[in-house]
Amino acid sequence: MTTRPFFSFSALALALGLSAGCASASLPQHVGEVNDIFTARNRRDLAVSVPGEDEDWEKTAAEVPKLLGKPLDADGAVRIALAQNRELRAAFYEIGIARGRFVQAGLPPNPEIDLSVRRPNDPTQPLQLDIGIEYNLSGLLILPLRKGVAEAELAAERLRVAGQVLDMAYTTRAAFYTVQARQQELDLRDRALKAFQAGFAAAEELSRVGNLPDVDLATQRAAVESARVDVAEAENRLLDARETLNVALGLSGEQTRWSIEARLPDPPAEALVFERVEERAVASSFELQELDARMRVASKRAGLARTEGNLPHISGGFHGERDASVWEIGGHVTVGLPIFDRNQGTVLSARSEFGAQRERYLATATALRATVRTAQNRVESTGRRARHYREVVLPAREKALAETVLQYNAMQVSVFQVLDSQRQVTQTGLTYVETLLEYWNARAALDQILAGRHRGLALGPAGAPRTNLPSGGDSAAAGH
Amino acid sequence: MDRRKFVQFGVAAGGALLASQAFGQNAKPGAAPARPSPKRAVFPGGQVAVTTPNGVTLPLKEKDGLKIGHLVAMPVKHTFAPGLEGDCWGYNGRTPGPTIEVVEGDRVRIYVTNKLPEPTTVHWHGVILPNGMDGVSGLNQRPIKTGETFVYEFTFRHPGTYMYHPHFDEMTQMALGMMGMIVVHPKRPKGPPVDRDFVLMTHEWKITPGSRRPDPNEMTDFNVLTFNSKAFPGTEPLVVGRGERVRIRFGNLSAMDHHPIHFHGLTFETTWTDGGEIPAAARHPETTVLVPVGSTRVIEFVPDELGDWAFHCHMTHHVMNQMGHGMPVMVGANARKIDPRVQSLVPSYMTMGQTGMGDMAEMGMPVPKNSIPMGGGPGPFGSIDMGGMFTILKVRESPETADPKGWYTHPKGTQAERAEDALLKADGIDPDATFG
Repeated sequence: MTTRPFFSFSALALALGLSAGCASASLPQHVGEVNDIFTARNRRDLAVSVPGEDEDWEKTAAEVPKLLGKPLDADGAVRIALAQNRELRAAFYEIGIARGRFVQAGLPPNPEIDLSVRRPNDPTQPLQLDIGIEYNLSGLLILPLRKGVAEAELAAERLRVAGQVLDMAYTTRAAFYTVQARQQELDLRDRALKAFQAGFAAAEELSRVGNLPDVDLATQRAAVESARVDVAEAENRLLDARETLNVALGLSGEQTRWSIEARLPDPPAEALVFERVEERAVASSFELQELDARMRVASKRAGLARTEGNLPHISGGFHGERDASVWEIGGHVTVGLPIFDRNQGTVLSARSEFGAQRERYLATATALRATVRTAQNRVESTGRRARHYREVVLPAREKALAETVLQYNAMQVSVFQVLDSQRQVTQTGLTYVETLLEYWNARAALDQILAGRHRGLALGPAGAPRTNLPSGGDSAAAGH
Repeated sequence: MDRRKFVQFGVAAGGALLASQAFGQNAKPGAAPARPSPKRAVFPGGQVAVTTPNGVTLPLKEKDGLKIGHLVAMPVKHTFAPGLEGDCWGYNGRTPGPTIEVVEGDRVRIYVTNKLPEPTTVHWHGVILPNGMDGVSGLNQRPIKTGETFVYEFTFRHPGTYMYHPHFDEMTQMALGMMGMIVVHPKRPKGPPVDRDFVLMTHEWKITPGSRRPDPNEMTDFNVLTFNSKAFPGTEPLVVGRGERVRIRFGNLSAMDHHPIHFHGLTFETTWTDGGEIPAAARHPETTVLVPVGSTRVIEFVPDELGDWAFHCHMTHHVMNQMGHGMPVMVGANARKIDPRVQSLVPSYMTMGQTGMGDMAEMGMPVPKNSIPMGGGPGPFGSIDMGGMFTILKVRESPETADPKGWYTHPKGTQAERAEDALLKADGIDPDATFG
């Protein structure tokens, strides 16, 4: 009798090779898949760049040093963050996790080989050899369904990571605006300090020549020292803002010595017109699409569980028994009866998960619409306020300063009142900067929503916080 | 010439300046010299008509033995001095209102039309008349409502210098400029006749630089001080002849301040108050006459020194224009310790007053619109750094032909000038002497 192997080693090698090929996806491939999503949405600016190979993970993307070599702008900061932020890279690796599950789900069950040796009690009898092979047929039948579930999970994961890319871009942009605002605030606080120092210099000189009581000199001095603290606090706020941006940019060490030159841009002269924002926000929402994908996952999972529950467990095999000098060959089929366990619980869980995702989808859609309206209102309101500050309040303050100088020339008011009026200009400048920051944050938030993400937006309470002059602000009394 | 003809001539002469001016509303400030042109004796005993510098006399027409005049209480645009216009109230388009000039015993019928946005009355200040004509709203009459015309009729029984003003919402209406002078010539004048007879009403206002409306609420801080509602350099000089007898009638309707009016280059006697004539035996020479609030004072003098002579209120803040007091004293300060710091924030800032304030009028600093802070007027030797209640008495040999705007030419050796070194040395004067 000719003995033949049950399967050739070359077929085994091919199967292993195929499975290895399926599992070879790398970080650049995950990034490319997400980039493709943004390319399809005509948002190439959100394309993430990473080193070409996983082994180069510690390398810095080529564009980063170039961007850091010149004063940063908001777009440059976003580019750096997308290339450098390691939380984002971690998210891309999570696509790999999902892809691994998908690959795993697509692999057919392995056959099982059973070998046994028996020595009969009769010493004349030869050694009994049994060999069998068993294969999980129901596992093979159910494989497409498992693969479908994993594929849907992979798709949902891609959408989740794409949303994270948007989050990173938004967070970075907002952090950059904050740095700009804090830099401007520091400049203005410094200007307010200079005004108090000028008042103190005048008071010192007037005191020196016997024209000013000590109480006014002391008041001026107190105002200077309070303003100095305000400058220090503003400096601290700037440093904090820089570190927040450093985290977003994924920078450390020498790379944190970046600079910015530009101030927060003025708002457009005319109000922006936003059309069909709710519709656009819903259409582009990664969150809704992810939830939709999760619903599909749940649906497929329910189908899988139901099929698994109703499909009898079937396995089949062959076996051979060498008795004396002959092989006895036979086969068998094992059928598990789906009488008690038909995956009812798993089906119930999967269906509930589907229901939960469906409700979450609707809740998210409602929240999304409200958020986009809020952001739109905020953009319009802060834009109007910022324009009003720039075009009306600031000129009015400057006009008041000019008129105060005229009143000073007319010997109606003192140098201290001139400086107080100048500080009012500075105060208005501070409020303008805060309003401007609120405006650009709102713009970034609205862009973020329209790009597909509405959660985690730092819109904050409406209305720019009132910036206060140093506590010694009311110092015009000196000389009265 | 009988009295009626006197009056008619007086009206014609006094009103000549007004002939082309309905109530004098169109009179141009400073257009006419502050002297009669020509000097005319138009009242009994050869009394000359009064001149109201920067002002006019009320035209009176005679009918049935009455002198009839018309005062219209109304808002007026008034120029206090070049550069400072005010939204005031007055009579017949001006502040002060026209001077009412009559003769003792004249019966007058004065119509008063109210074109103000609130009621008013007219009180004939110092005049003794029937109680119902005294013009105190609520006490003697009901107020004259907007658009109404009231008639006052009474006889000027006593000669003298009086005033008129509202007695409804006095604080507001007088603060906005409603006032005028009354001259009652005696029927039989005593003493030497005067050649010139001027009327000057003093007043004080609060007009914040940059604003137009005088502030009736102000109680202490008045910054525009005026003769006939004009602040120097808006005041017309008084041109008189050397050796002429000159009378000046002062009235004070300021809100809170008396005014010590000081004359340079002459002494005078106070001859009348609003209570009557001061007996000759009680008069004495002075150079400063105090004109209390609500009073009139009449002085007479005969100048014998030619020249341009200042006369003004001697309260030093009353000869400043709109200067405030809301700033510290800068005298003695070193501007270089202050300016660089302030100018880094306010480039147009410049420390002022560190060497005194006398030259500020000439600095030409930009000031609020419609204001004349610290401004004085030009003089023949530079800026006269006074303003407010300040004017000039021009004593000339030929006042009728003299240019009222011209300056006195000093004969050689009669004017202070820089001392030459040789003279200092000859007299043993050391300009670098130190003391203390």
